[in-house]
Amino acid sequence: MRQDMQDFAAEVRRFLDAHVAKTPDRTALTWGEGDDSMAYFSSLPPEEEREQVRRAREWQRIRHENGFGWITGPQEYGGRGLTPVHDLLYDAIESEYDVADTGVLGVVGLGMIGPTILAHAQSPVKDRWLPAMYRGDAIACQLFSEPGAGSDLASVATRAVRGSGGEWVLNGQKVWTSVAQHSQIGLALTRTNPEAPKHRGITAFLVPMDAPGVEVRPLRQMTGGADFNEVFLTDVRVPDDHRLGEVDGGWTVALTTLMNERATVGSEGAGPVAAALSPDRLSALMRATWTWDDRALRARLAELLVDALATEHLNARALRKLRSGVSPGAEMSVSKLMYGQNLTRAAHFVTDALGPRAIADTGQWGTYAWTELLLATPALRILGGTEEIMKNILAERVLGLPKEPATTAAKEVRP
Amino acid sequence: MTADESALRELRSSVREFLEDKSPEEAVRKLMESEPRFDPAVWAQAADQLRLPGLALPEEYGGDGFGMVELGVVLEESGRALWCAPLFATVVLAAQALLAAGDAAACAQHLPGIAAGRTTATLAVAEDSGSWDPAMVSARAVPAGNGRWKLRGRKSFVVDGTTADLILVVARTVAGPSLFAVDRMATGLTAEPMETLDATRAMARLTFDAVPATLVGAEGAGGRIMARVLDTASTGLAAEQAGGARRCLETSVDHARVRHQFGRPIGSFQAVKHKCADMLVQVELAEAASREAARLADDESEGFPVASAVAHACCSRAYMVAAMENIQVHGGIGFTWEHPAHLYFRRAKSSQLLFGGPAVYHERLLDRLGI
Ligand SMILES: Cc1cc2nc3c(=O)[nH]c(=O)nc-3n(C[C@H](O)[C@H](O)[C@H](O)COP(=O)(O)OP(=O)(O)OC[C@H]3O[C@@H](n4cnc5c(N)ncnc54)[C@H](O)[C@@H]3O)c2cc1C
Repeated sequence: MRQDMQDFAAEVRRFLDAHVAKTPDRTALTWGEGDDSMAYFSSLPPEEEREQVRRAREWQRIRHENGFGWITGPQEYGGRGLTPVHDLLYDAIESEYDVADTGVLGVVGLGMIGPTILAHAQSPVKDRWLPAMYRGDAIACQLFSEPGAGSDLASVATRAVRGSGGEWVLNGQKVWTSVAQHSQIGLALTRTNPEAPKHRGITAFLVPMDAPGVEVRPLRQMTGGADFNEVFLTDVRVPDDHRLGEVDGGWTVALTTLMNERATVGSEGAGPVAAALSPDRLSALMRATWTWDDRALRARLAELLVDALATEHLNARALRKLRSGVSPGAEMSVSKLMYGQNLTRAAHFVTDALGPRAIADTGQWGTYAWTELLLATPALRILGGTEEIMKNILAERVLGLPKEPATTAAKEVRP
Repeated sequence: MTADESALRELRSSVREFLEDKSPEEAVRKLMESEPRFDPAVWAQAADQLRLPGLALPEEYGGDGFGMVELGVVLEESGRALWCAPLFATVVLAAQALLAAGDAAACAQHLPGIAAGRTTATLAVAEDSGSWDPAMVSARAVPAGNGRWKLRGRKSFVVDGTTADLILVVARTVAGPSLFAVDRMATGLTAEPMETLDATRAMARLTFDAVPATLVGAEGAGGRIMARVLDTASTGLAAEQAGGARRCLETSVDHARVRHQFGRPIGSFQAVKHKCADMLVQVELAEAASREAARLADDESEGFPVASAVAHACCSRAYMVAAMENIQVHGGIGFTWEHPAHLYFRRAKSSQLLFGGPAVYHERLLDRLGI
C-alpha cells in the first residue's frame, strides 16, 4: 500500500478509536451469545425505527465533522476530494467497529442520488442539498419505479408540465420507494414529452418531499415490515432550478443513478449478511442442529461456501483493479447477481438444517431468527435490476450479443 | 519473483501465439490418437524458446524462479488450447511433489533436467479406486539395503505414465505413506496405456514388480507432502479449467452472434443470451478463484489451502457448465465428432473427477475450513 493510503488508514483508525468501540471478533463466536437477529430489512416498531434513523443521522454528522462524511465528494460541497479507493478503505476499516447502521441514509441517498445530483443538478440545488445530505440532515429517495414501469423504467408515465410561472407541475404515482417515509427529497423521473421515443421524453427533478401534493403511503412487504412505499404526486409544484439535466434528457440522469445502484447493491458486506455466509457461524449452526454429519447438507454447505468465497475473490479482484486505476469490467454485475444468489442459498440451507424449528419459534437462540433473512431474499433477486435484467446487461454489454428486437412499448404512453 | 500486470499480459500473449501456431485443433486431434500423445519437438521448443517447464522452478535448480501466478497464466492458455504436452504431469504434479518433499538432493538431481525440458515426469498416487488420499495407498516399499528400496504394487490414472522419464510414486512403508522416485527404464516396471474419457490427457496403469526406487523426503512423510501437492496441483488444474471454460464461452458467444434462426441471430433470444450470461458468471468466478489461489500460494499465505480448495471446486463446476452449455448453444453441430466442443466436454468432466470429484473436493474444502 502506498504511503498516503497508510496515512489515511491511520487517520481513519484514530478517528474511529476516539468515537466508537470495536465490534466483537466474529471468529470468537460463541453459539447462543450476542444478538441473533438476521433481519435484512428492518421490521421495527415505529418509535424504535425513528430512534434508529436518529442514530444513523447522528453518526453521519460525526463522520462529516471529522472529514469522513463524503470521502470522494468535492470540497466545495463538504467532501474530502479523495478517491474511491480511499472510500473503500474507509468502509473496510469502519466495518471492524461497532457503528450505527447508516443504511437509511447511505444505500439510496449517499450511494446513488448524491452522485447523480453532483453530476447533473443546477447550482442552487447542489448548494442547498449536497452538504445537507452528507451532513446527515437530509435523506433522499429514488422515485423511479411506477406501477407500469419497473424493469422497463423508460416507460414512466408520471407527467411533468410547465406551469404559468415557469415552474413544473407533477402528477403521477411512484411505487416501491424505499425510505420515502424518512426522506426530505426524492429524485423523480417524469414524462415531459409523450410524443418522443420513450427514452427521449423523460425529465428528472429533485422533489422536496414536504411539497404540497406529495403523499407517502407505506406498503407492507412480505417480511411484515414496511421499508418501501407508494408515493402519490398530485399537482406537485417544482421550480425549474430543481430540474436535473436537460428537459427531455432525464434518461442520462437515470443512467448515472442506475450505475451507482449496481455498485452499491452487492457491496454491503456487514451485519446479518456477513453472518449468513460466515463458515464459523454456519458450522456452529450445523453442530447446534445435530446435522454435522448429514452428508447431503455438508455437500450443500460446501457448494454454498465455494460461491461465497469465490465471490469474495471476485470483489477483491475488482478492488485491486480499482486501486491500480483500471475500471472493473464484468465483476460488479456478476457480484451483484451472486450476492442475491449466495444469500438466498444460505437462507435455504440454514432453514433446511433447522427443519421444523424454522416453521415455529421455540425461543431457541439463532434458530427462528433466520426466517427474517429467508423472507428478505426474494427481494435481493429483484431490487436494483432483476436477475433477468442483469443477465441481459451482461450478455449485451459485456459479451456483445445482439439486442432484442425493439418493441412498441413507447407508443402506449398516452399524451 | 512476481511479474507485474503488463509482464503477465506479455507472457499470456506469447504463450497464446505459440499454441495457436503449434497446437491448433488439427494438431490436437492428430496427437490424441498417437503415441506418445505429445510432440517432443514442440515440447523442446516450449522449453528452449519460452522456458515454460522451468518458469516456476527455483533459480538454484535451473528455473526462472517465478511462481504459481505466472505458471497459472501458462496453464490457462494450455487448457484453452487443449495442448497435448507433458506440462501438467511434469511441472504441476512431479516438480511440485519434489519441492513439497523438501529433499534438496532429489531436487538437485531431477529439477534441472525438468527445468531444461530434458526430463518429463509424473506423480503416481491413485490406484484402482482413483483416490488421491495417501491413506488409501496399498503399493508397498521395502528396504533393499544401502538405502535402496524396492516397490511392489499397482498404480492407475498415472498422467503421461507411459512416457514420463521420472515417476514419483507414493507407496507404503512401515512408517506410513512415503514418496519414491523411479526411473522409467527400471527393471520390473511395466506401463500400459488406459483408455481415457479425455484423449488429450494420456493416462496409464503401472505395475511395480520389485522395482528399484529411491526415497524422496523423509520416510512416512507422504501424507504431509501430498496435502501440499494437492493444494498446488489443484490450483494448477483450476487455472487450466478456467482457461478451458473461457474458451467455451467465447466459442458460444461467437456462434450466437452469427447463427440465424427465425430470422434473427440466436444470441438475440433471451434463452440463449441468459445461457451465455450464466456461463460468463461461472467463468468470472473461476478466474477470480484460481488467480486468487495462485496469488496466495506465492505469498505463502495461510489462506492458501482454503483458496486452493475453493478454486478447485469452483473451476471444476465452471468448466463443466461452460462445456455443456457450449454444446447446447451450438445445437446439432455441437454434438458432432468434427466439432471441438466434445473435446472440451471430455476434458471438463475428466478434470472435474481427476482428484476424486465433487464429494471429495467438497469435504476437502470443509476440512481446510475446519468444519
Ligand atoms: C425491496 C425493494 C426495494 C425497492 N426500492 C426501490 C426504490 O427505492 N426506488 C425505486 O424506484 N424502485 C425500487 N424498487 C423497484 C425495483 O427496482 C423494481 O421492482 C425492479 O426493477 C423490477 O420491476 P417490477 O417490480 O416492475 O417487475 P417487472 O419489471 O414487472 O418484472 C417482473 C418479472 O419479469 C421479468 N422481466 C421484465 N422485463 C424483462 C426482460 N426484458 N427480460 C426478461 N425478463 C424480464 C423480471 O425479471 C421479473 O422476473 C424496489 C424493489 C424492491 C423489491
